[in-house]
Amino acid sequence: MLIEILQQTINGLAIGGVYVLIALGLTTVFGILGIAHFAHGSVSMFGGYLTFFLVTSQGLPVLVAIPIALVVGFLLGLLIEIIAYRPVRDANHINAFIVALGLTMMVEGINLQMFGHEQVVIPTGLSRVFRLGGVTVPELRIYVIIAAIVLVAAMMLFVERTKTGQAIRAVAENRDAAILMGVNVKSIPLIVFGISTSLGVAAGIMVGALFAIAPGIGEGFVVKGFAVLILGGLGSFPGAILGGTVLGITESIAAGFISSAYKDVIAFVVMILVLLIRPQGLLGRSP
Amino acid sequence: MLALCDLRVSYGAIEVVHGISLDVAAGECVALIGANGAGKSSTLKAICGLVPVGSGSVQFEGRDITNASGHAIVRAGITMCPEGRQVFPQMSVIQNLRMGAYTRTDKDQDADLVRMMDMFPILRERQTQAAGKLSGGEQEMLAIARALMARPRICLFDEPSLGLAPKIVASVFETLAQIKAMGMTILLVEQNSMMALNLADRAYLFEAGKIVMQGPAKELKSHPDVMRAYLGH
Repeated sequence: MLIEILQQTINGLAIGGVYVLIALGLTTVFGILGIAHFAHGSVSMFGGYLTFFLVTSQGLPVLVAIPIALVVGFLLGLLIEIIAYRPVRDANHINAFIVALGLTMMVEGINLQMFGHEQVVIPTGLSRVFRLGGVTVPELRIYVIIAAIVLVAAMMLFVERTKTGQAIRAVAENRDAAILMGVNVKSIPLIVFGISTSLGVAAGIMVGALFAIAPGIGEGFVVKGFAVLILGGLGSFPGAILGGTVLGITESIAAGFISSAYKDVIAFVVMILVLLIRPQGLLGRSP
Repeated sequence: MLALCDLRVSYGAIEVVHGISLDVAAGECVALIGANGAGKSSTLKAICGLVPVGSGSVQFEGRDITNASGHAIVRAGITMCPEGRQVFPQMSVIQNLRMGAYTRTDKDQDADLVRMMDMFPILRERQTQAAGKLSGGEQEMLAIARALMARPRICLFDEPSLGLAPKIVASVFETLAQIKAMGMTILLVEQNSMMALNLADRAYLFEAGKIVMQGPAKELKSHPDVMRAYLGH
């Protein structure tokens, strides 16, 4: 029993890491622009597909393909901000909402055209499995968990310790005051989309390596990403981290003890229960 | 140093500032006084690039900065301490102060941080607290210190006494006098005309988007119309 719980917790940490990376991107974009960036999941999966393509068709080593995909993700983020969201910047929020939905369909279509409808798994060659007192830990999961922790820590350091990171927070908290501090509020959304998309691509690669990428998977992840935001408390970084981890572990435990067919149901039931008790989310501020 | 010429500001179709001209010389403290809605704050916001200038011009140290973007205006040396404090509520006091120095790249930022906390000991006590948890008076001190962290060439203050208890208002004005004594050029917007006229060298009286009177603060203070309408005599 205890071993099974430990086992599922480790599994949950890996998937939780993916949720956290996606949610961090969503929460930063939402904080700055008030946009629900639905296309984020599909763009993230594009990054996973791209890595798969670079490794299988171009024969690049995984460790070369991943940085390329992260950089492409960053540039893609800039492009999305300039082409898709900047034009509706000062318009009613419903416009950005529609743009987000349209963009989701577009990116899903592009993924389908470029990479086909077959599900793909990024071949990492990491097939060792460790056994620690009855708990089975595939090598890949460990790397995914470590990578997620490193990326989240890097993001936190960037936001808390650099002037640009502080400017991002400042714009989210009070746009006019940020202008008075000399922040160029036009360049901030660019940086935010670049970084968020890069984090998303990292999540996409993890999904492609741990499970598989297929059409529609990205939309599933973006829904989970928003669930994490609400669970953790909108606009809260620590909330997104806690929320993602909780959702990942709950899902895994539900899959292990009840049935994997019900894992999503159980994850959302937990979310509803949390919101009944704490409507502002786990770490959200009370309104 | 700063010169506005025939400045007009509108919100949509409604013009609120109807062609005003004023100037501030280096080292001077100039007050804009007048009733609520007379266009004083809109004038400051237009200088800072927060609202667009309809027509007319803003010159700063011989450069035309009319409708320049807000961040470029800060880099030119103009900093505003905005109405209602506008601190970053979830950021700590220290983080707020550091945001004030956002445009600076020099090595003296840490020294300035210490200087600000010497000037406002309450900010040292509360340095790790979220700014939103501070009282109104403390937030005003933070907003003033944050503005000074930019090492501006001219500092604009928009209604620094608004919504504060009378005792706190007095200490805010003491602080402003201290900043003035440091040689800072100040453009101050205030509804508390008596306090503003006591502090300022010169003043402009706004009425319905126009300047109706200007001169040395002492003269305005003893002008019968000003006394009757704004000073409560």
